[in-house]
Amino acid sequence: MKQPPELIEAQKNMRPGIITRDGFLGTDDRNLIDILIEDDAIVKRLGLSHKQIAKRMRQLRTGGMKGLGDFIRMPPHFELMVETFRGKLPCPFGHPGIVRKSSITVKNTRLNREITYTDLSIHMIAAHGFYEGRGAPYRLEPKDLAEVLEIEPEPDSPEGD
Amino acid sequence: MSPVLLYIIGVGVACGITTILAVLVVVADSTIANYGEVKITINGEKQLTVEGGKPLLGTLKEEKIFIPSACGGRGSCGLCKCKVLKGAGGYLPTELPWISEEEKKQGIRLSCQLKVKTDFEIEIPEELFNVKQYETEVTSLRDLTHDIREVTLKLLDPPEISYRAGQFIQFEVPEYELSDEPVYRAYSMSSCPSDPTRIELEIRLVPNGICTTYVHKYLKVGDRVIINGPYGEFFLRDTDADIIFIAGGSGMAPIKSMLLKMAEENNPRKAMYFFGARSRRDLFLVEEMKALEEKLPDFTFIPALSQPKPEDHWEGESGLITDIVERRVESGENKEAYLCGSPGMIDACVKVLKKMGVPEEKIYYDKFA
Repeated sequence: MKQPPELIEAQKNMRPGIITRDGFLGTDDRNLIDILIEDDAIVKRLGLSHKQIAKRMRQLRTGGMKGLGDFIRMPPHFELMVETFRGKLPCPFGHPGIVRKSSITVKNTRLNREITYTDLSIHMIAAHGFYEGRGAPYRLEPKDLAEVLEIEPEPDSPEGD
Repeated sequence: MSPVLLYIIGVGVACGITTILAVLVVVADSTIANYGEVKITINGEKQLTVEGGKPLLGTLKEEKIFIPSACGGRGSCGLCKCKVLKGAGGYLPTELPWISEEEKKQGIRLSCQLKVKTDFEIEIPEELFNVKQYETEVTSLRDLTHDIREVTLKLLDPPEISYRAGQFIQFEVPEYELSDEPVYRAYSMSSCPSDPTRIELEIRLVPNGICTTYVHKYLKVGDRVIINGPYGEFFLRDTDADIIFIAGGSGMAPIKSMLLKMAEENNPRKAMYFFGARSRRDLFLVEEMKALEEKLPDFTFIPALSQPKPEDHWEGESGLITDIVERRVESGENKEAYLCGSPGMIDACVKVLKKMGVPEEKIYYDKFA
């Protein structure tokens, strides 16, 4: 699908070496708009919204901060590690504000699965519904997020956002 | 023709015209526009006559005036702020993410985003006049841990640098296969300022980091590196207060520099240094720090592991660094604290130190963290 100029600009910012070393698109050669549309449909099929997913990611991040960079346990069966680094990153979509460089790892010991994301991931999901392109280092599959972080549809939550 | 098709064609035409106009403006600005010579007055005294049309940050750099910038002028670090009294128009969308309401009232601008098209009046800290660009050569690379590398740079041109223990420089990473253009990152110096001919840096590999990947995977002994500096307000204050140093990881660098300087001056101040690491493999320079306990009259080094492994056979302090500080420091009375480490660690330490009674204005850490 043809994409509007603001997404063309955002897609340029997502190339390797512009904001981060490896960029945000990995091996995905689709237009950004197609990536957004496909992931949006997946999230809707899961009965979730981007904001709900981001809210859970943020909640686990807050809990993990207490570990000062080491894994700590969080009931009922999570282990969390939040590492923060010097420097901040702008949003590739040109969204106002800057985001702390970080790496948040959540281990679900019941499922024996883990997932790693960043503060920028949380922002891009909440504000833009963007989970990065296929093959990108921090690509997050919405289904994996829902399963590992145990995000359930909220009864009164409208689908999508 | 269907209304949907008409709509799509309409949007397409509008987008096309907008794009063409935008390209024309950029081309015209860079080729036709001639702003001639313009004057930049700095701090009401120094006056520069420069060619107009370029960003303020780069224009000042050409005049050998360096404003700290960690991204090379791409508007992605927010470091290159300066006060503009005259010459700048309204705030640009690319500046706004970095400027607070309070800073707006003071006329603080992002110098990499402002083009010098007319006479400017600006204010910058006096110490920036001492900042220079240096060509250096890598004389040694040493892995301190699995992810922290010590880089020693010999100053070539100019051959000496004057700095205060605790300050930082900007390291220029040239274009390489993972980056299309030069990028800059700030690193604290870990060496003692008494040798002005060389500096040491301790650089931790950051996942997906453009600069740290270059340093860890590409940089070789003999390579030339461009730096500029020194910068920063993170240096030992000249008081009689007891000192609490807290660091983690590559945060060791500026604290080591301060301790080396203190040892050289036989500084009698009471000092405790809490260094946090995860397990023994993340500890480094322990012997050097222990040796400083012998040299300094009243210095204690307290390495602490948050998650020692059984094979570490660790008998020292264990737990979160904040808990250990609370346990080992009796009160915050007559204390100053110097912190360097991850932003999360700094935030947690500031909270604990304030609770212990260390005044917030006596807690120092690098603003670039």
